[in-house]
Amino acid sequence: MALAPALVLLPLGMVLLRDLHGGGAEQIGRFWLAALQPSLDPSLLKHQLMGLQITALTALLAWSLSSLVGLVLGLICSTTIWSTLMGRRWPALVVRRGLAPLRSIHELIWGLLLLQLFGLNGWVAVLAIVLPYSALLARVLADQLDRHEPPALVALQCAGVPAVINLCTSLMPPVATALRDHIGHRLDCALRSALLLGIFGLGGLGTELMLSLQSLRFRELWSGLWLMALLLVAVNLMIRRLSARHGLLLLALMLPLVTPLWSSGLNHDLSPPSWVEGTPWPSPALWSEGLSQAWMETPWLELIGGTLLITLLASGVAIGLPPLLRLIAPGPVAGWVLKAGWTLMRLLPPPLTALLLMLASKPTLAVAALALGLHHSGVMGLVLEDGLERVDVRDQQAMVALGAPPRSAWLFGVLSPASQRYLAYAAYRSDVILRDTAVVGLVGGAGLGWQLMEALSSFYWPLVAWLVMVYAALTLLGELVCERLQEAA
Amino acid sequence: MAVLELRRAGLTGRLQPLDLTIDHGERTVLLGRSGAGKSSLIGLCNGSLSPDQGRVLWRGHDLQRCRPAQRRQIGTLWQDLRLVEELTVLQNINTGALGRHSLLWGLRNLLQPLEPELGDAILRQVGLSTVLRNQRVAGLSGGERQRVALARLLRQQPTLVLADEPLSALDPRLSNDVLNLLLKQSSCMVSLHRPDLMQRFQRVLGLRQGELVLDAPPSAITEATLAWLYSED
Repeated sequence: MALAPALVLLPLGMVLLRDLHGGGAEQIGRFWLAALQPSLDPSLLKHQLMGLQITALTALLAWSLSSLVGLVLGLICSTTIWSTLMGRRWPALVVRRGLAPLRSIHELIWGLLLLQLFGLNGWVAVLAIVLPYSALLARVLADQLDRHEPPALVALQCAGVPAVINLCTSLMPPVATALRDHIGHRLDCALRSALLLGIFGLGGLGTELMLSLQSLRFRELWSGLWLMALLLVAVNLMIRRLSARHGLLLLALMLPLVTPLWSSGLNHDLSPPSWVEGTPWPSPALWSEGLSQAWMETPWLELIGGTLLITLLASGVAIGLPPLLRLIAPGPVAGWVLKAGWTLMRLLPPPLTALLLMLASKPTLAVAALALGLHHSGVMGLVLEDGLERVDVRDQQAMVALGAPPRSAWLFGVLSPASQRYLAYAAYRSDVILRDTAVVGLVGGAGLGWQLMEALSSFYWPLVAWLVMVYAALTLLGELVCERLQEAA
Repeated sequence: MAVLELRRAGLTGRLQPLDLTIDHGERTVLLGRSGAGKSSLIGLCNGSLSPDQGRVLWRGHDLQRCRPAQRRQIGTLWQDLRLVEELTVLQNINTGALGRHSLLWGLRNLLQPLEPELGDAILRQVGLSTVLRNQRVAGLSGGERQRVALARLLRQQPTLVLADEPLSALDPRLSNDVLNLLLKQSSCMVSLHRPDLMQRFQRVLGLRQGELVLDAPPSAITEATLAWLYSED
């Protein structure tokens, strides 16, 4: 089952070969060679380090605010807490569904929307990450609190323990570890999101990387990417150290106090944002007219179909490619090499990958899907490697001893046991991929994302409103499907 | 004086409506085959299960409507223990006292175990080494976890103790010590699979296929009665 999604590589490969023009093949080769020869120009590095600091500052501030807000919202979204305290569950469900639009809209879309409203201000990128991340964390926390009712909850209730302290004692310890892991993971995601927002003009290292790419200065581009890689490694090490004994929570509480000083040192504007004057808003009468017109003239089926197709293809690549490569090369050395490869794939933001692919192929839906799929294959590849390491190899050894070919023994004795956890994560990852189609759509000219970019650029607010709502609805639908799949599993 | 009354209280499909009164100071044993309804009866008595018919009264008040301060007087030693696996032994013992302390005390207990001397004394009572005090419950053996659950119960200081198969994971010596501790409580109702221990109680209740079929002192119970109680027909 884990290998089946790799079938999408066949049609994708055929389309890419058909659209291959080879004009930029040399550039792609130069790009990869430049990875080994990043530029060490001092003035460039100085600029990039400034940009890196702005990216880090944005990510850390956004992460800390979204963690704190998300924790509070997560408690409010928990049916277990509501039913224990108030004897009813429905308020939690109302809040949870109410937060769904926040988390369903990609931070890039939030960034572009807020940019139109507030202009270039450091808080735009921060808020663009805080809005969806806090809603995502709220959902994760509420799911953890509600999924497994701890047996101690009823026991303490019967022992006359007041509801609030009962909830704290019986619910918090079981979810604390999973929550801590998720919050730590969110910091890594926040850094990548801040980089991505910079690529689309919201400041930081991403802006520098985009300028380097557009002028085909790949050595400079790789200098920035390696700096980002070092930052990610440092942050992940920090997360591991702080994960013990409430370190992450303390960091989240302290950061909003520390970051203003840091930003003033960087001359990065973190003053309170204000509305951009002169933004052309339609009058109320024009709004209703504009909404119906925008709805009628937009080819929704084509756009939604394009977005869903990108999601399907990208998910196929992301989920099927890692086990396929492992089947081809199942040994431990191949595992190490692939791990390095997956880490590199994660490092390259999807728009960069899409732009690189467009150097050699026409901008199509296939390019967008492949770029997104390759980026997410980095995540799935690492998840797969982690799962394979935990498998007991005695089954495989027994099969080999009985005469099974090594590859078959690996398939049935190692990949098969690891598949369940891998595919469970894959369902969640497909949900994320659907959100991320906004990112490559903007670059690849396909799906809802492309249309949204056009509407934002021309201040066509009624269409922007529809597109955001449709995106939110699609993402919610994806979430519901994932939930049902996970329940069925 | 009656502390707990069941008035035609029953659970559809599990326990037929029954009348039962437990007096203060009474020591009761609950016997019956697996699936006879012993855990369901204990669930009705501690309020974890709400009766489909009839009522359960604690000192004259509907148990389902009792305030936490009233419910605190009923302590349960659960068959599945229901400890907080991620907390330490001492923190789990202290959860027995959460009903008597403030929210702040309870939150402090989550960060670090409080009142270690009191905890140690209770650990010794239940036959556990104080060395285990800061160990997470998840890492203990079945017998150790059962004694931690008992320690939590003792920390609660309830008026009525309900125990659902408290001796299942214990060796004979420890079983005897634990039973002695339970019998020292003001009032208790203990479900057991050990009819040989019924002589230590004042009253024997027998359940069969969800029906209360026996309510007598131990002296009135014969071997034939027990054989019938545990038979399949």
